[in-house]
Amino acid sequence: MSSSFLFSQFMGGLTTAMFLFLIASGLSLVFGVMRIINFAHGSFYMVGAYLAWQAVQWVHPTGGGFWLAVVIAAVGVGLLGALTERLFFRSLYGREELYQLLFTYALVLILGDAAKFVWGTDQLSVSAPPALAGSVQIFGTTQPLYTLFIIAIGPAIAFALWLLLNRTGAGRMLRAAQMDREMLDALGANVGTIYTLMFAVSAFLAGLSGALVTPIESIVPGMDVLIIVQAFIVVVIGGMGSLWGTFWGSVIYGQVLSFGILIFPGFSLFSVFALMAVILIVRPWGLFGRPL
Amino acid sequence: MNCRFGLALASLLLSSWPLAANAADTIKIGFPIPLSGPVAVYGQPVLKGAQLAVSQINANGGVLGRKLELLVRDSKANADEAVRVSRELIIKDGVDFLVGTVTSAEAPAVSTVAKENKIVFLAPVAESTILTDPQHIHPYIFRTNSNTDVEGLASATEIARWKDVKTVATIGPDYAYGRDLIAAVVANLKKLRPDIQIVDQQWPKLGEPDFTSFITAQMSKKPDAVECAVFAGDFITFAKEAAPLGYFKMIDNRMVDSGGVGTIEEVKALGNDYPYGIVANTEDPVIWTSGNEPPEHAKYIAALRQFTHEQYPPSWAVQGYLTVSALADGIRKAGSTNSDAVSKALIGMTFDTPIGKRTFNVKFHETFQPEFYGTMVKEAAYPFAVMKDPELLPQSYTPTN
Repeated sequence: MSSSFLFSQFMGGLTTAMFLFLIASGLSLVFGVMRIINFAHGSFYMVGAYLAWQAVQWVHPTGGGFWLAVVIAAVGVGLLGALTERLFFRSLYGREELYQLLFTYALVLILGDAAKFVWGTDQLSVSAPPALAGSVQIFGTTQPLYTLFIIAIGPAIAFALWLLLNRTGAGRMLRAAQMDREMLDALGANVGTIYTLMFAVSAFLAGLSGALVTPIESIVPGMDVLIIVQAFIVVVIGGMGSLWGTFWGSVIYGQVLSFGILIFPGFSLFSVFALMAVILIVRPWGLFGRPL
Repeated sequence: MNCRFGLALASLLLSSWPLAANAADTIKIGFPIPLSGPVAVYGQPVLKGAQLAVSQINANGGVLGRKLELLVRDSKANADEAVRVSRELIIKDGVDFLVGTVTSAEAPAVSTVAKENKIVFLAPVAESTILTDPQHIHPYIFRTNSNTDVEGLASATEIARWKDVKTVATIGPDYAYGRDLIAAVVANLKKLRPDIQIVDQQWPKLGEPDFTSFITAQMSKKPDAVECAVFAGDFITFAKEAAPLGYFKMIDNRMVDSGGVGTIEEVKALGNDYPYGIVANTEDPVIWTSGNEPPEHAKYIAALRQFTHEQYPPSWAVQGYLTVSALADGIRKAGSTNSDAVSKALIGMTFDTPIGKRTFNVKFHETFQPEFYGTMVKEAAYPFAVMKDPELLPQSYTPTN
């Protein structure tokens, strides 16, 4: 096995990883702070992808205007998230987790059918922005510019989220809310607004990742459910609610998949699920999580 | 109110006159089909084709003097759900026949329901050979689409035509359809071109969001050509990820995709991201660039265009259309809607379709439908890839066992 081949497998794994991280980060964030397992996160991702497609049609049907479409999709889904939190989630805090699970599952079905109603069942596709449509040669391998961009944006988002949580006033509030919501409320902080903001950020990330995958993925009904399973695997491997856990969970998932298919070519899913099973047995709280 | 009263009176009068009442009854066709989830991409156009056939047949006076009626249910591409709605259609709605399902999980499941209830069931899309193999065949199951063995022969024929190709890699979704199809291609290729070696086989899962690692792993084996069974939305993802990696350039676009990515649905979605130069297949290319379009096809497309209000109507509609037409022919030939009689009529029956005559094989109850194959090219007149000189393959097929 040549080193350039190993490098291209590594980069392939990294691409998978950073895509998953973009999606899983929002999922992990909402769980970490609000203790909500949001099944509908994949639906926000799907809505982001459809919105991006729609915006590209409005702005410039021949392929330009991609970046504007990404902004429209991410902000649009962020607003949708804020609205959902204000209208529905608000009355579910403090209730049993089962109710929250059921509610987010209901959202999955509602948003899935709504997307079908608006955009139909045809498969849709968005072309890569012209500036990033090409590729470059690195170590004798061909690397698409767009995936290099995604590989760069993953750590950037991780760092931005870390800054938000650890270096800002809002972040301090969020961490306080995570520890003791009632006490924070009693101290006069507006916990309601913090939660809405948090949820909006999470939905924004889902919308952003949905929009960003459109140049290399198809937009089809059901993409919401397909992605949420993988996002959950990543979050479980890394540790529920841990941002860096989710980051490294994604990296491990990507590399295990990428090199796993070299060892077990006939069983692409085997390595990833075997990894998850082992981690769940050895460290049920995930690699970076804390025992509950 | 008056109108409703009048109708009620009329139906009261009619029901006291058995013969006329019978004529007013519709022939009910239960239509379990995936209308949600990723497989709805197939379900919707198949349904449109079926609806067009029903409206044309009814406009011409129906069958045996009775109108056809489609009772559509969402099967969600799930075997359990397909079985549930099929049972309901039979027991509650009293359908006379079943037409529908898309996946090779749903179709065999509904086939057992048809067998239990002794109701003729025609599968317009599913391709798994187990649907009609000797262990599973029964008098009431019929298939109008190709099967994976037929597709395997056709695709191997295309690959074998590249005389200088010595090494072939395969990539297909990791479930029954992908596995069966690739196995059939490889088996046929061994017979047609014993000099060709299979150097790599990749099995991404169905709905894989990122094919990059599979693509780079395959490229490291430097195949001369590729047999691909990736289809629909997955193929869009695959093509868009493979092109910038230099995958198509490396194999000089020598790929045969057997998963039906020559459909209008697929080329429309991919637009200029389509990997021009590959060989693809479809049940109906819709557009004939060479000008030798069969007249019955032109007539069908004109009607479909009017029905769907789309300039380029979907390829998959033809499977819904020809399946309902075949059933109608069977009922006419049997002279009754009794499933035993219709089954007897269908076995060995030849029927017309927009894409040529088909005959239900006596032993296997299927038509071994050939599909259109051709190189996908860019033409100035169309905003997407079109199939150059569509050719029906395989030219002949003899079932084994």
